[in-house]
Amino acid sequence: MLRLTDIHKSYRVGPTTVDVLKGISLAVEKGELLSIIGPSGSGKSTLMNIMGLLEQPTEGTYSIEETKITYDDDRTLSSLRNKMIGFVFQQYHLLPRLTAIDNIGLPLIYRGISEKEIMERSMEYIKKVEMQERSRHKPTELSGGQQQRIAIARALVGNPALILADEPTGALDTHTGQEIMNLFKRLNEEEGITIVVITHDPKIAAQCRRKVELRDGIISG
Amino acid sequence: MIIKANVKEALKSLVTAKQRTILALIGIVIGIGSVIGMVSIGTIVQNEALKQFRDMGIDIVSVTKDYERQGADEGFNIEHIYGLPDYSPLIKKVSPYIVSSTQYSYADKDFYIEIMGVSESFFDLNKLYVREGRLLSDLDRNRSFCVIGAETADILQKAGVKDILDRQFLFGERIYTVVGILKKLPEGGGMRPSGINRAVLTHITTAMRSFTTNDITTFMARVSAQDSKTAKTAIENYFGKKASGLSVRVRTAEELIAQMQKQIQLFTLLLGAIGSIALIVGGIGVMNVMLISVTERRKEIGIRRALGAQRSDIETQFIIESVTLCFVGGIIGIILGIIISYFFSHFSKWEFLISQSAIVLGFCVATAVGVFFGYYPARSASHLDPAAALRE
Repeated sequence: MLRLTDIHKSYRVGPTTVDVLKGISLAVEKGELLSIIGPSGSGKSTLMNIMGLLEQPTEGTYSIEETKITYDDDRTLSSLRNKMIGFVFQQYHLLPRLTAIDNIGLPLIYRGISEKEIMERSMEYIKKVEMQERSRHKPTELSGGQQQRIAIARALVGNPALILADEPTGALDTHTGQEIMNLFKRLNEEEGITIVVITHDPKIAAQCRRKVELRDGIISG
Repeated sequence: MIIKANVKEALKSLVTAKQRTILALIGIVIGIGSVIGMVSIGTIVQNEALKQFRDMGIDIVSVTKDYERQGADEGFNIEHIYGLPDYSPLIKKVSPYIVSSTQYSYADKDFYIEIMGVSESFFDLNKLYVREGRLLSDLDRNRSFCVIGAETADILQKAGVKDILDRQFLFGERIYTVVGILKKLPEGGGMRPSGINRAVLTHITTAMRSFTTNDITTFMARVSAQDSKTAKTAIENYFGKKASGLSVRVRTAEELIAQMQKQIQLFTLLLGAIGSIALIVGGIGVMNVMLISVTERRKEIGIRRALGAQRSDIETQFIIESVTLCFVGGIIGIILGIIISYFFSHFSKWEFLISQSAIVLGFCVATAVGVFFGYYPARSASHLDPAAALRE
């Protein structure tokens, strides 16, 4: 479903060029639960940004569902992010002024769906993450684990082809982190949602059916 | 839908940053307030100036001898003036008058007074009414009766004269009997000869016999309201024929109104320009607040972009926020402007008017300021690199 072919990414830092990704080729099939593991500085966040269409590779091709991504139009990229990809971040990244339910509905606003339908779908997904009792709470009134559940519901609400989770348990204690992983596993098994988890924690990576190891910008195992 | 959600969002975000919002609001309120205040004052002034014309009607013309041409020394022949309505049906009524200034002395005090020689039609054309006594008629030909202006009456009363009506006074070199006191006229403007309030009005035939110079240099006429231009040409032709090339200058009320409106428009424009400077300063304040807002919300922008917001969505969001800010400021500013112009009319004792066009202008300008000064911050927000914004 996702196909990365010989992806390079380098940044210009002053006069020098830093190569972060040095030829990544990776395919993700529909329904996979995949982990990308690597120490900090290995380029895994950059890889996630490229997979999430937030960054453009310096070289190489990337295609989603057999469609090659051309990076020339912001409209198309934004629309692909909106429809195909759901993000889950380490720091949750909920908007502090919005309630839990409004945070979940955020991706749908950019689809021009009616307010009523947004509310209905948000309610459906808040139930999936078992947070319906807290729908009117602001993020600051929720615990880390609860915020991450809301963030997962937000990632799912647009019915994307892929969930990209960047260190989703990184800011949580072991027990809560495990609950989040259980939620991912359940969504993957019961609903067939494709999930890519990026982590530095081998225990988290071990729970995924497939593991890709990243070291110094190349896949090492 | 997106706009509604955006306005809600914008209000929330403005309320969150109270202090900043209030500071930016003050700038916009003063800016819009001064523009609306200034434009409303211009409207009040214009209304006051045109009121005189409305009172008298726009069918009045004033005819003056053109001094720059030949025959400069002689005035109009009064018989020629009276012949005008027979010459052209467009001229309904004529009213020649002459003016001479003199002194009135009472109890060792001297007062400056104008004596006007007028005909019966003068009172009708100028809409003059008595508050006591009667007006002059053409039956008062050659008789020493006079009607005095309201301020002349005040002068006499202050000097200690009681029972002015039917009393005799020595004005200049002739004794007049006062038969009427005119109602006070508003100051200036319109087609009325100036100084009627401070004048002594007697019949033109009486005046011509007692003045040292009795040239008629000006007369007024009522013409057909629809054809004032044709009437103007008729008057010019008439005098050209009657007095072998005597050239006259005809000023219609319409021309004077047009001239005056031009001046007032210029005046309003000037006031508006002064207000606009305040508005620009206010606009820069808005831009400043919006730039801070964009900087503080880099992460939010990154999140929204990651969730699928297009550049145009982010741009719209921030422009709506800036327009909302300016719109709220605009409403308060319009109220402030109306209060300013209310006080202006209160202290000048002129009729208070709320200019609807100024209010519409206020809303338009507020929105335009919001878009104009919000555009740059919104654009820089929409061009943030989402990956970099999320990394922070």
